[in-house]
Amino acid sequence: MSASATTPQSVLDRADGLRRQLGATVRDDMVAALYEQSSIIVDRAVKGRGSQNWDLDQRIDRVVTSQIFGLPIMLLILSCIFYLTILGANVPSAMLASLLFSFEDLAAGWFDALGAPWWLTGFIWHGVYRGLAWVISVMLPPMAIFFPVFTILEDLGYLPRVAFNMDWLFRKAGAHGKQALTMAMGFGCNAAGVIATRVIDSPRERLIAILTNNFVPCNGRYPTLIMLAVIFVGAAFPPAFAAVAAAGAVVGVVLLGVIMTLIVSWVLSKTVLQGEASAFTLELPPYRRPSILRILYTSLIDRTLFVLWRAILTAAPAGAVIWILANVTWGDASLAQHSVDFLEPFGWALGLDGVIILAYIIAIPANEIVVPTMMMAYLGVGMMTEPTSYDDIRRILVDEHGWTLLTAVSLMLFSLLHNPCATTILTIWKETRSARWTTIGALLPLAIAFVVCFVVAAVWRLVA
Amino acid sequence: MIDSPMPWLVLATVVALVYWPRVGLAALLSSRRDRLRRELVEDALKHVLSWEQRGKAATLESLSGAMHASPTTVLQLCTDMQKRGLLHVAPGGFGLTAKGEQLALHVVRAHRLWERYLADDAGLPLDKLHQAAEKAEHGLSADYLDELDAHLGHPQSDPHGDPIPTRDGHLEQLHAVSLAEWPSDKSARIVHMEDEPTVVFQQILAAGLRPGMIVRILDQDEERLVISDGVNEHRLAPAVAANIHVHPTEVGQSLPRVATSLADLNKGVVAEVVEIDDACRGFSRRRLMDLGLTPGAKVSVVLDNTFGDPRAFRIRDTTIALRAEQARLIWVRPLAPAADREGVAA
Repeated sequence: MSASATTPQSVLDRADGLRRQLGATVRDDMVAALYEQSSIIVDRAVKGRGSQNWDLDQRIDRVVTSQIFGLPIMLLILSCIFYLTILGANVPSAMLASLLFSFEDLAAGWFDALGAPWWLTGFIWHGVYRGLAWVISVMLPPMAIFFPVFTILEDLGYLPRVAFNMDWLFRKAGAHGKQALTMAMGFGCNAAGVIATRVIDSPRERLIAILTNNFVPCNGRYPTLIMLAVIFVGAAFPPAFAAVAAAGAVVGVVLLGVIMTLIVSWVLSKTVLQGEASAFTLELPPYRRPSILRILYTSLIDRTLFVLWRAILTAAPAGAVIWILANVTWGDASLAQHSVDFLEPFGWALGLDGVIILAYIIAIPANEIVVPTMMMAYLGVGMMTEPTSYDDIRRILVDEHGWTLLTAVSLMLFSLLHNPCATTILTIWKETRSARWTTIGALLPLAIAFVVCFVVAAVWRLVA
Repeated sequence: MIDSPMPWLVLATVVALVYWPRVGLAALLSSRRDRLRRELVEDALKHVLSWEQRGKAATLESLSGAMHASPTTVLQLCTDMQKRGLLHVAPGGFGLTAKGEQLALHVVRAHRLWERYLADDAGLPLDKLHQAAEKAEHGLSADYLDELDAHLGHPQSDPHGDPIPTRDGHLEQLHAVSLAEWPSDKSARIVHMEDEPTVVFQQILAAGLRPGMIVRILDQDEERLVISDGVNEHRLAPAVAANIHVHPTEVGQSLPRVATSLADLNKGVVAEVVEIDDACRGFSRRRLMDLGLTPGAKVSVVLDNTFGDPRAFRIRDTTIALRAEQARLIWVRPLAPAADREGVAA
């Protein structure tokens, strides 16, 4: 055995020994030397082209971060994105739906012609396929609009300025200013919002952002909120103001979500996630012309298809469950009816009813199917159903099933606060790799939703 | 319906919930018992090690006091540990066997690395570290600790100055003088602050002292020490000062800072970075250095904030926003308001 034999291990051991003699400042010295060298190279090789761009950037910055214009500009841009998304998604959604659903009928027809038993046709086409078709047609168009528009703002360099404007709020809540961005992303899809928290580089603040992202309502929950706002809030006002009042109600719910985010962030940072805000560094890059091709790629491939794929994975089983619940009977009623009866007292305590609770249990995989599932249960048909107009819905809910304003308010609150969908929970798991944080991320909002709805319902009934 | 399968289903479910391997109630309870047992053993090892380092032998009384356990429990525990070859009877108490010492050093390593992580990456305040690390130190593998060590950049000491043992059990001794015994005419650098008892540690922190600070004793009598860090004066009871350990300062480290913090820099003034404060360590420090905040770099304020915080700075032709908490840790020297491009634009 020669003592001088050089093996990889001996080199590593020697490096380990030497590292202890380096002293505390070696890293600082290395970075300083790197910068010194590179600035020498830059001085020699790079010529500046004057300061026009920089002056323009500064002028824009002074406007978008100013006391007077900063906040209004931000709100205006955000509302524009929502408006574009909701308005622009309607037509393609309807087209996709009619295309996909017509194929459902066609395929079911083939199955019947081949002599397949009714339950096989029903399970595959009216169950699994219908669930998939529903999620795709409701989710894909809004996401295909929201994400590219959002990515344009990102590319432009505007988003860091939003974080700059909003950071003081998040600092008070013990969180990171970039959480404003991940929240904005959450308006599109909470799963995408959770992925977006990667921009927050300190682990504590990132966890806060992940756990609270659910409190901004995503695309999948807007239909519920908008429907309720139109039927209950809008209808309470004269027709001229109905649209404004309904929009106001939705904005109010969103604001409530933002407030909840801040409160829960604050509580988390005072309890289970204690600590000082670690390095807050936020680069404000120069404004750039967005590159369209890259935007289309990152927003469609990285975000839209990614999220859609996960939603599909979770929606297919949901479709199957819905079909089974609606079509398997035990005694004299379907499983769905039994579950509704069982859940009724619980729903009542929260200001809701058994059907709504059942819809939310089934819709854990994807919130898009809440309204269709509710309609299915109320109408007693065997598959998810979309009524034709708001008047129809109003008649079914208020006249036939005894909904009140309390039901609507409780449902809005529940929709805003309840547990994240399965796609988001899966994403929280992928991002944190921790069963504990995933559980907290799923159950904390649910507990908050229960408490808030219960208290609201109790106080409401006491007063009214 | 007479022959309902319901009771059988319920029974099967209950049995499965209780006896399912690994995740059943019975398995969970037994693994929890094992875990608590292992934590007790590791805590006892740490205690014996710390007494050995002070040249004393741990006793049943000292163990039961430190672990808040009854002497009967401790006696049983120690007998058990002797059987496993971790402890042996030493003159006046217990000593560690080679195997016991190795395990004890592993736990100490876990504790100190974890403190480093909590302070540097998670930003937990100094007086909260010890308790959090007490919980986290158990059940971590040596390989995991190696990974953590590399992630943290191979730190040599924990946030309050205790050296971190190496994987093979090498623990450097802290050769430092207590501040209570330091001569008043020489300046010194704080290298270690004892974090137990917590009450004393909190007094040290409340006085505004941090590891890495350079201090000088201004005045000293039976009741108090007055020390200065060049800017502020701090008062300490001698018993508290005894828990602070210092080194002589190296050449070139001088007391008065001819610098202001970046947080106090006014708009329109260009300044030169002097250094990043020693209190800023690990991840935060790396991040600030990577942004180009190296000594000699020029900085200026480009955007004030309506709400005071954060402000944006121009550093090496990029615009970076920092919160006041970060900016306060960066020492700069204002230059004359120059006709610099950035200075004019601002």
